[in-house]
Amino acid sequence: MPWLTLLIVVPLAAGIVAALLPSATARLVAAVAGLVTAGLAVAVLFEFNRTVGTGQLTEHHGWASEAGLEWTLRVDGISLWLVLLTAGIFGLALVAGFLHMPARGGAQYLGLILIAEGALLGLFLAGNLLLFYVFWESMLIPFYFLVGMWGSEGRRQAVMRFVVYTMVGSLIMLVGIVATAFIARDVTGQFTFDIQALQGVAFSDTQSRWLFAAFALAFVIKLPMWPFHAWLPDTYRTAPIVVTVLLAAVMSKAGVYGFLKIGLPLFPGGAAFFQNVLVLLSVVSILYGSLVAWRAPTLRLVVAYSSIAHLGFILLGIVTIDGQALQGAVLQMVNHGLVVASAFVIVGIITQRSGREKVADLGGLAEGAPWLAGAFLFVTMASLAIPGSNAFAGEFFILIGTFRHHWWAVFLACLGIIYASVYMLRLFQRTMNGPRGQVSGSTVEMRPGDFVLLVPLVAAMLAIALWPQGVLRTTGPTVDRVLAPAQVALNRPASQVRARVPVNPPEEALPLPGDPEPTAPTPQNTQVPTP
Amino acid sequence: MNIAALPMMILIATAVVALVPSLAPPGRVRHLGPPLVSIVGLVAAAGMSVLLWGDRQYTFYGAFRTDRLTVLMTLIFIASALVTVLMSLREPATVDRRGEYYSLLVAAVVGMVLVAGTGDLIGVFLGIEILSVALYVLCAMEVWRARSLEAGLKYLIVGAVGSALLLYGLTFVFGATGSVSLEEISDIVRVRGLGGEPLLMGGMALVIAGLGFKASAAPFHMWVPDVYEGAPTPITAFMATAVKAAAIVAFLRVFSGALIDVVDDWQMPLAVIAALAIIAGNVGALVQQSFKRMMAYSSIAQAGYLLIGVATGTLLGVRSLLYYLIAYTAMTLGAFILVAIREREVEDGQSIASLAGYGRRSPLHGVVVTVCLFALAGFPPLSGFIGKFMLFGAAVEADLTWLAVVGAVGSAVSVAYYLRPIFVLWGEDPEPGNARTFDPGDGLWVASVLAGLGVVVTSILASPLLDYCREAAQALIAP
Repeated sequence: MPWLTLLIVVPLAAGIVAALLPSATARLVAAVAGLVTAGLAVAVLFEFNRTVGTGQLTEHHGWASEAGLEWTLRVDGISLWLVLLTAGIFGLALVAGFLHMPARGGAQYLGLILIAEGALLGLFLAGNLLLFYVFWESMLIPFYFLVGMWGSEGRRQAVMRFVVYTMVGSLIMLVGIVATAFIARDVTGQFTFDIQALQGVAFSDTQSRWLFAAFALAFVIKLPMWPFHAWLPDTYRTAPIVVTVLLAAVMSKAGVYGFLKIGLPLFPGGAAFFQNVLVLLSVVSILYGSLVAWRAPTLRLVVAYSSIAHLGFILLGIVTIDGQALQGAVLQMVNHGLVVASAFVIVGIITQRSGREKVADLGGLAEGAPWLAGAFLFVTMASLAIPGSNAFAGEFFILIGTFRHHWWAVFLACLGIIYASVYMLRLFQRTMNGPRGQVSGSTVEMRPGDFVLLVPLVAAMLAIALWPQGVLRTTGPTVDRVLAPAQVALNRPASQVRARVPVNPPEEALPLPGDPEPTAPTPQNTQVPTP
Repeated sequence: MNIAALPMMILIATAVVALVPSLAPPGRVRHLGPPLVSIVGLVAAAGMSVLLWGDRQYTFYGAFRTDRLTVLMTLIFIASALVTVLMSLREPATVDRRGEYYSLLVAAVVGMVLVAGTGDLIGVFLGIEILSVALYVLCAMEVWRARSLEAGLKYLIVGAVGSALLLYGLTFVFGATGSVSLEEISDIVRVRGLGGEPLLMGGMALVIAGLGFKASAAPFHMWVPDVYEGAPTPITAFMATAVKAAAIVAFLRVFSGALIDVVDDWQMPLAVIAALAIIAGNVGALVQQSFKRMMAYSSIAQAGYLLIGVATGTLLGVRSLLYYLIAYTAMTLGAFILVAIREREVEDGQSIASLAGYGRRSPLHGVVVTVCLFALAGFPPLSGFIGKFMLFGAAVEADLTWLAVVGAVGSAVSVAYYLRPIFVLWGEDPEPGNARTFDPGDGLWVASVLAGLGVVVTSILASPLLDYCREAAQALIAP
């Protein structure tokens, strides 16, 4: 079975069909398609061989092969979990859409969500740089409309800023993609955009740095990382709550994934060069996100800024270049998706039913809404990574791994953890405990439809909390392979490097007599991206 | 005589026969006869062309050659003309003049086919003149509207200058080589090594200028915004697609075909013109309030992208150009169809503001135009992205990296103005007051669906399409 192609085509096709149907049928089609896609993702989990670190279940077809654009799909230990997360969260979002459709253009709304799902799944499965770019860009189109058409006050400016920010990043990335292929051709004699075939290409230091920078800029904007986060607050604030869930839980992972799929394995030299800058940016993001979340006036902004801090943690786990930290980062990607999704769902329930956005207007909700308070408490504990919660394992691994190489960063990041308890507990106390605010708790209590959304999320969090090995077992070989080139570039002791570093062109391919001299990589290369 | 010229013959017959039903008394025959005859004739010619896909065949003693490039271009012209016919069914300009309108439209296609398949310099000029004269009239067809007359007159004057330059240049080329046959010119240039020959250089400069007017490339573009805005919208769509394609294929036949051995002499001027067109078009489009005028500037920029393919002078360049031309035709037609609809429905239908909220009221047209504009902006995975990507790649390979950079920056700028109508289209509906609702008619629905399908199909089936384009390019430049 072409599982991976199905994973992308089912939501895309269903999205187009749903958008053209009358609302009543469309929501059924959308919900079924969401569940089928989630089922397909689970099928991929069963087909997956966890002892292999390279991409598997490969599918390869020509598309515009002449332009280098090919339909190459692969899944590895990291993308596997992102695919599951995407299919799961989108499945829930579509079920939520089934239960409460927007009054205007509900069919188009659900159709666009499905198209966004297809694009994101394509991004996580793409094995070709151009295909990666295609999905990277096309994911922008549905989100543009979802925020622009169904958002609240001020959406127009928000969506313009969102598009302009991401477009700048992705155009520079496109230059980087083209430059990568052309430079790699000069080194290996083979013109390809295939990510696996480009691994181990011996770029010169300058080339590796520039190319890494071109890609990294696009990734940190998408994450977003301080100081590239200016698009985030407005977008998260104006987007419909379901779309905010999707942006925070799934789309932000696209940027992180870019580092793992392209940044570290293809340009280890550049990753090593920019390591300290990125560690610093991550730490600043953690502190900045935590501090602003502490003072944020509305429920949504608290969660939005806390998301910046958590993503800082994840990036820290990646750029510190350590096996354990990266394991933690991958685990934390899944955790963050689950936690931030359920946090936004709860925030959505409260703000929608009470009609109040501000933290200050609310209080004492727990009295009339015990179920909601319980769920919120659970999510709060997960968010501040209390031992025993699912996020604890992830953050702990990240901190241990980072401590080996950058103890100062751990010191600062721990401040972030302390702040997390400050802002999350403040949010919980202000809204749930204390004197009764303007709204009584019973108006916001969970209804049967909300259980449908929150129970799977909480169950998944519990499962990971009790058995994080379930995730870590499958990611191990992939993590080793992703890290190895960067570890070598950083001259880490050989005992830490646990995978073979690919060499391209292979050493055994000795030049035949009569072959032209191997061309040395040109130092003054003209392909260097100029921002 | 063999059948190589049959598609052209069918088209000539169609142009004549289309006049006949308009002699009937007012009624159904007079109203629907000419478009029906045109559609049948165009489809028949297209079918005949498909059968001719194969090795080169000569007719008229070598004056007309049917090879894969001719067939491919003929199909592009006919597809554009068919959509134009569908768009024109209720066009105000065609009232009372249905015979002339459709006959002239098909006659213009005849001229284009002649350019695409010409075997000598005379055919180039003849074809360009046939299509130009037909379009001078078509632009001014809406005689009661001053803007339409102005457009016709402007196009006539500028077009005549362009034709004069072209003819002058062609005589220089004839003078330098002593032959009008494109194949003989090619041999003579190669054997005698005419690189740097002043007479030939002067001729080429004049031909570039003359064809530059027809292709609406900068700095020969000053007529474009006014003419495109004033002409009846279906005719504008036809000019932006088929006429531009004809001018481009004339470039291909003369430069990439006959004068390929002196590529060093004409590459730089063409590259500069392409860059100027990209800059002028994209910058001009940024500030437009009228959708139709914005599309006019956009088509100047697109002419620049197309000329990149000519300027490379390589097989890859020509092949990317042909693919982009097909994609461009579909997406530009889709955008103009919306103009045609809106200008019949409301008073200021050409403005971007009049699109407000239209997407929600008419999702089909909204989706088609959105897809077309995203494709024009070069958003992946649509055909516009694939085409531009290949054109820029071809430019890099031909050592024209600076041109690729200009193109890439221009296409980043273009996102700004292509997204604006999309946003208005799907935004709030201000007040539904100013309707003067004419029924746009079924023809526009069909045309819209065809254009949208065209964009989607060229995107998904890029690989097979590129194979056909390669074969067509090989017919022009032997590998």
